[in-house]
Amino acid sequence: MSLLEVSTLRAGYGPVNVLVDLNLVVEEGEIVVILGSNGAGKTTTMRAISGMIARSGSITFAGQSITKSSPDAIVRAGIAQVPQGRGTFPELSVEDNLRAGAFVRNDDEIDEDLAHWFEVFPRLRERREQRAGSLSGGEQQMVAIARALMSRPKLLLCDEPSLGLAPLITQELFGIIASLNRDKGLSVLLVEQNANLAMKIARRVYLIETGRIVASGSSDELSADDSIRKAYLGF
Amino acid sequence: MERFLQYLFDGLSIGSVYALLALGLVIIYRGTGHLNFAQGEMALFCTYVVYQLGEWGIPIGFALVIGVAVGFALGAVVEVTLVRPISKKSPFAVFIVTIGLFQGLNWLDGAIWGDQILPNSAVSKQANFPTLFPSKDTDFVTILGAAWRLKYLGVLVLVLVLTAVLFFVFNKTKLGLAMRAVASNPESAKLVGIRTNRVLMFSWGLAAAIGALGGVVFAGINNSVNLGLMFTVFIYSSAAATLGGFDSPGGAVIGGLAIGVIENMGAGYFPEWIGQELKLGVALFVIVVVLLVKPSGLFGTAKVERV
Repeated sequence: MSLLEVSTLRAGYGPVNVLVDLNLVVEEGEIVVILGSNGAGKTTTMRAISGMIARSGSITFAGQSITKSSPDAIVRAGIAQVPQGRGTFPELSVEDNLRAGAFVRNDDEIDEDLAHWFEVFPRLRERREQRAGSLSGGEQQMVAIARALMSRPKLLLCDEPSLGLAPLITQELFGIIASLNRDKGLSVLLVEQNANLAMKIARRVYLIETGRIVASGSSDELSADDSIRKAYLGF
Repeated sequence: MERFLQYLFDGLSIGSVYALLALGLVIIYRGTGHLNFAQGEMALFCTYVVYQLGEWGIPIGFALVIGVAVGFALGAVVEVTLVRPISKKSPFAVFIVTIGLFQGLNWLDGAIWGDQILPNSAVSKQANFPTLFPSKDTDFVTILGAAWRLKYLGVLVLVLVLTAVLFFVFNKTKLGLAMRAVASNPESAKLVGIRTNRVLMFSWGLAAAIGALGGVVFAGINNSVNLGLMFTVFIYSSAAATLGGFDSPGGAVIGGLAIGVIENMGAGYFPEWIGQELKLGVALFVIVVVLLVKPSGLFGTAKVERV
């Protein structure tokens, strides 16, 4: 049984279906990347899995159907999303952003987790009292990732974490995502335009075009494919 | 000095009522981004309910709890049935809806209780609108020669306590965190598992409940309730929220107290120039000046965002 199974997914906004027939799978412990150009349906895929938009077809997570679940039920089930453009709570302090991430939890280990993620992201600890909106883009992306992790997800959805960030910072973030996967077994579904970096940390890759998966395979297979390399990697 | 203190005390007490209504305006504005034009009329309906309960012999403490609960239910129902479906279609239309609600509720009050000052000896058993605090002519404290009637002072104390409680809820509880998260970024609030619809329903309920409290204590100060009771209060509260900053609960309270004091000082020190007739002009003048000089209000936040 795969951790996440998406089949014949249709989703969109109002009468317009952006995704027409989307199928993909994420196994436990994998990093999977979805590559595609602007408007191909990457963000829509993420929002459909998170329950933020109307959808039909079938989405199964850890054996349970979440096709009709509300966003809060999906977070409780163990999926956390880092939205595109970071989506922090700009008026709230860094610490409150992280605490909001633990909203669905009722256990008494929230303070421990907070301390833990401040270890992983020491720059956030320095700024824990600061308003998130006053942080740099890279720091805000860290806030968004740490916030998502505060819900103790089994699967992390990352929507274009590299958007608007300097290459060095993107590299640092991808390093963190890779180590979360390696050390804690966190499964990650990553959406990216920055194919080079994403394919380095991903085990498998899906290519999406106008709402459909048009190719899939391991990172090595796809980067060896000439036409794909030209279209997505640019060399 | 006595005169100054007298105006100050009166201003702070009346200002407390403005602060309550302004708090309601701010809670709704932060939650859903709307100016609730019906805030005063929702409070007025609850005030009439408390009057009616008094007629039925229910003591004020208990009647107030029921009135506030009616306010909460009214606010929550308005959010779910009117504001939510309409704001999906057009956010601006919600403003028009609240104006309609303003009219409709006032009409409803008139249809039930009539266009008269209540209580009055012709129809009421009660002599005065019930108040929580000692209200005989002899119930006052004297501070440096100025008298502060206990029923006025009580309102101020009530508002300060309520503000402290709300401050605690907003900043120290999970519910408060959810409310602040929804106000800051509703999309992300959903993504972390906050049921934003419930939070918004609760926000409207809370705002109307606080407003109901404001209406009841104001009718207590005023000794009576009538159809026009809350209209000017609403204007003053809007001025208070503008002055304090429409997204700042603390600012709403300070703004309310300040408007109360400014209004009373203006009317007291310039009886011929401003007087009782032009008091409302003071509030409107404050709105215009604040909007010109510091549109976000004294404690409001101008949006800061780095990308």
